[in-house]
Amino acid sequence: MKAWLPSLLRLALVVLLVAFVTNPGWFEPLLKPLTENNAPVIYNQGSLLTLTLLHLRTVLIATIAATIVAVALAILVTRPAGAEFLPLSRSLVNIGQTFPPVAVLALAVPAVGFGEKPTLIALFLYGLLPIFENALTGLTTLPANVVEAARGAGMTGWQRLTKVELPLSAPIILGGIRLSVVISLATATIGSTVAAKTLGEVIIAGLLSNNLAFILQGGLIVAALAVLIYDGLSAIERYTARRMGREAE
Amino acid sequence: MIEIEGITKRYDATTVVDDVSMVIEPRTVCVIVGTSGSGKTTLLRMINRLVEPTSGIIKLDGADNRSLPGYELRRSIGYAIQGHGLFPHRTVAQNIATVPVLLGWDKARIKARVDELMTLYQLDPEAFGPRYPHELSGGQQQRVGVARALAAEPNVLLMDEPFGALDPIIRTKAQEDLLAIQKRFGTTIILVTHDMEEAVHMGDKIAVMDAGKLVQYAKPAEILAKPASAFVETLVGASERPFRLLSLGRVRDAVEKGSAEGEAIPGDASQRDALAELLWSGRPALPVKGADGKPLGRVTVDGLVKRAARPA
Repeated sequence: MKAWLPSLLRLALVVLLVAFVTNPGWFEPLLKPLTENNAPVIYNQGSLLTLTLLHLRTVLIATIAATIVAVALAILVTRPAGAEFLPLSRSLVNIGQTFPPVAVLALAVPAVGFGEKPTLIALFLYGLLPIFENALTGLTTLPANVVEAARGAGMTGWQRLTKVELPLSAPIILGGIRLSVVISLATATIGSTVAAKTLGEVIIAGLLSNNLAFILQGGLIVAALAVLIYDGLSAIERYTARRMGREAE
Repeated sequence: MIEIEGITKRYDATTVVDDVSMVIEPRTVCVIVGTSGSGKTTLLRMINRLVEPTSGIIKLDGADNRSLPGYELRRSIGYAIQGHGLFPHRTVAQNIATVPVLLGWDKARIKARVDELMTLYQLDPEAFGPRYPHELSGGQQQRVGVARALAAEPNVLLMDEPFGALDPIIRTKAQEDLLAIQKRFGTTIILVTHDMEEAVHMGDKIAVMDAGKLVQYAKPAEILAKPASAFVETLVGASERPFRLLSLGRVRDAVEKGSAEGEAIPGDASQRDALAELLWSGRPALPVKGADGKPLGRVTVDGLVKRAARPA
């Protein structure tokens, strides 16, 4: 019974999430007690489904960009020619992480205007660090004799990278991407302060009109997305780790 | 033929390999022995240019090994290392096919070669081909590692302590397999080890290295009989010397006329094994049989003891 219980819970969560974003009206009675003065129970200034999809799109774009840049940077600084850039890259990525996303939004709006763009910039900078650090760990902790064998077999630098080093680091890099995605899913909500279409819109509307039902539905959808995506990526990570002969911790 | 001429490798102030010159004859096994830090592995890695020498030339069949880009040179030379270094994310068949794929062989030729090598190494291609390295035992992984090194039919095979991680029983089997395959393909093998026993057993010639210098380069019997320095003598091991000398000879060559009681020993067993059998069973002589089972004569304790003495 233990084996199928987690899968069943996940399935239930998926069904619940899909039902909620497609037919939020069904859940009106449940959330009704949280509202006062006959305020609307379900967010009424846009469809929850559209907002959820836009939220996911924003996170997806930012994560893909962060992954490309962070992995490319990690590859560069682990080549003999790029080793001297390691401290510089580390500081740059660390600044991206320590700079608060809200401040990035404030600085980005005058430059690129309101909407999705400043949010993407903030999420991109915020998501770099975990991916970069994990890619660096993955690429520098490869089993030495495997890399040696790849050289000895006559692989060029590029062939070693694409056929041996990246595939073997894939599980660790995926771990970084997973962390980055979960952080971005939560952080994307503040993008709505600069008019990005994300689930943050629902939460902010709730805060402005003192409507607990709005805050809760926005927050719960983001939380459910985070849990499900975290789970899904963990499963992919375990699968690739098994394929690479490295057991996942 | 591999000609090493005045090869030196320095890292800053440290000289790891110091002006080494030697010639390795084609289709022979050359074993480089030395303690750790003697430069033996560095010397080996300069042959396929995993390490670039500070000065000196290495010629393979007359051609300077710098006439090709390093990666192309390495595709033409087999390379097997301690702990096999198999790619954990590739199947056994894909691992063995590594160099043929890099060379752009067509699929049918690669499959035929992989199947041939796996069969040769007693690994059923159907059963083991699709498995991953971590699903194999240590001995099987080692065999796959050597099969991978031999896949593109190299004339030269470099081995860096290939049997170091194996237990003694599997190691003996792996050594026998390697010698059999060396005879079959006529590959020139250069093997690095710190184990004198392995060197005497495997080598047509042994190169002894100490502190970066080539101290002695000779046939095993000569290394045992006339060590060039105190270091070589220590490496050979004074108490092991007579037995190692005996291990070089076959029983066939020590046969005397006459007959003896008891079970016969095959003519191609080593003289050391015969002496061990004699001492253990407390008999003065053993009958010897040929490969066809016919009696050849006998070996005696006295005869073998004479052969174990220092050659004149």
